[in-house]
Amino acid sequence: MDLVMLLNYLIAFFSLFVVNVFILLYIKHKDTYLKPPQKTDWEPTVSVVIPAHNEGKYLEQCIETVLAVDYPKEKLEIIVVDDGSTDNTYEIAKGFKEIQAFKTKNKGKGAAINFGLKKAKGELVATMDADSFLTKNTLRELIPYFEDQKVMAVTPAVKVKASNSWIKELQRIEYLMILFSRKLLSFIDSVPVTPGPFSMFRTKVFDEIGYFDEHNLVEDQEIALRIQSHHYKIRSSMTADVYTEPPDNLRDLLKQRVRWQRGGFRNYWRYKSLIKPEYGDFGMYFVPLNFATITAFFLLLGLMAHSVISTPYYTQYIWFDAFGMSLGFFTFIGMFVIATSILFLWLSVKSFKGEQVKLRYLLSFIVFYWYLMIGYNSLFILKELRRESCTW
Amino acid sequence: MERKISFPLYATAFIISLIIFLAGVFVGTLLDSASISDISEEISDVSQQVSSVQLLLLMEGNSSTFCPVYFSELSSIDEDVQNFGYRLSYLEEEKGVQDIDLKMQYFVLEAESYLLSEKVKKLCGGQSILLIHFYSNTKCDDCQQQGIEILRARDESNISMRLFSFDGEIGSPVAKAFMDRYNITTYPSIVINGKTYAGYHTADELKAIISGANDS
Repeated sequence: MDLVMLLNYLIAFFSLFVVNVFILLYIKHKDTYLKPPQKTDWEPTVSVVIPAHNEGKYLEQCIETVLAVDYPKEKLEIIVVDDGSTDNTYEIAKGFKEIQAFKTKNKGKGAAINFGLKKAKGELVATMDADSFLTKNTLRELIPYFEDQKVMAVTPAVKVKASNSWIKELQRIEYLMILFSRKLLSFIDSVPVTPGPFSMFRTKVFDEIGYFDEHNLVEDQEIALRIQSHHYKIRSSMTADVYTEPPDNLRDLLKQRVRWQRGGFRNYWRYKSLIKPEYGDFGMYFVPLNFATITAFFLLLGLMAHSVISTPYYTQYIWFDAFGMSLGFFTFIGMFVIATSILFLWLSVKSFKGEQVKLRYLLSFIVFYWYLMIGYNSLFILKELRRESCTW
Repeated sequence: MERKISFPLYATAFIISLIIFLAGVFVGTLLDSASISDISEEISDVSQQVSSVQLLLLMEGNSSTFCPVYFSELSSIDEDVQNFGYRLSYLEEEKGVQDIDLKMQYFVLEAESYLLSEKVKKLCGGQSILLIHFYSNTKCDDCQQQGIEILRARDESNISMRLFSFDGEIGSPVAKAFMDRYNITTYPSIVINGKTYAGYHTADELKAIISGANDS
């Protein structure tokens, strides 16, 4: 067996293994994973911090959804931090008398969040993007998780509203899959991110572990890794809905994903010291998994390029026969890998009964998502190698 | 927080992945066997076709009346033989499937077809070039590239060529006999219209030899 074949088999086995871990977690928790913890009468004070930079388009709707949430108004504090916008963001925020609006110099999202966190007086604090929208039940579904004193953060079900935009629908499916994965990862204490659109924290955690890293490309991931490094729990809710506005064109989507990838890679590298048995599944499975995944991805790209370059000259005379003969065992292993991945995708989408996804978008996702990944992963490596700067 | 490693989860996932992996290997191996058995049956069919033409040649002696039939039959046989060759190479090089019996069966067909082509050429004439490539998959680094150069030479020249190839290292008696006949001592070696050219030759060199062979 040559090296190329061996690498192909290793990558196929690795992919099968990763998907099977998720499927097994689903099977183990399938009766409970959708249920939130028992609701209690506990109603802590909650602060919602909304950093905003030129968000005039969505901010009003965003604030309105926070004001409309099912929670006692006297226990809810809303803080908008305008991070040096040049549009009417600050004026919109000032228009709401129920909220506190601040204007700061443009220092980036992390700095704006930290400014708001330092003003927050709530026992719990949520950070929220200005282009995200709460539903009536968001807070009531998230708060019970904090009954466990070890829980320092809870992530909601961040979704994308159904639309007729192909690119938004692809992201909508992706968000459902990420959400489902995150829920399953919470069962092995391995939630790696507290999403920017909306995440809730126990306020005192920031005094202990520090505030958001203001120079991080994906500060919402870094803070989650820091919480993990302090052995605290992050929980994930499948029922606390939050809707967010995703990029509506390929250019912005690529830009966002390249930032995520670059920031994500840098963060995992920074926290590579968590690869220790004392960090349990997070240290011994999840963190190494990220390095293994990125390695496997680029190896696979290399192998695909190699197979194209090294296609024998004579294949042109027997392309039809070669196609038939290529249905050998590697193809079957590959088909099983694809089948288990599709099963996982189907489980993800079906977990959200209110989310109807059209078949054509699901098929598009299966066919095109891979190419999207190739695009942003290649750009990510290219930009990292060239040490290009990147801002939010 | 007391953190644990879910060993049973990973062990189960590993076992399930292994079962799926082996199932893939099993199904694929069945398909590879089916491919080999298909090629073997097709080789037998073409072998019968060669025997029929040989019989006709024997019956008709030195009469050139049937030359159009011989040419037409040889052309179809040639196409099949080359196709088998490509398919065998694909199985061997791309998929690592080695079946020595099948390869020997194929070399017998090639030998029959070559000898028939020689006879027909002698009886009926024609411009067709007969080229044999002697190679080894184990003792020759240039042989795979030599195969490509031969195909390129064929594709880039307007001369009709019948190609034959023998792996001299798999213990095929037919391949051995041909090697003795053409005094082959090294790989790659090429025989063009009965004349031996030892060593690696580029497509351009081959084209020059072929056009010279036809002029003479």
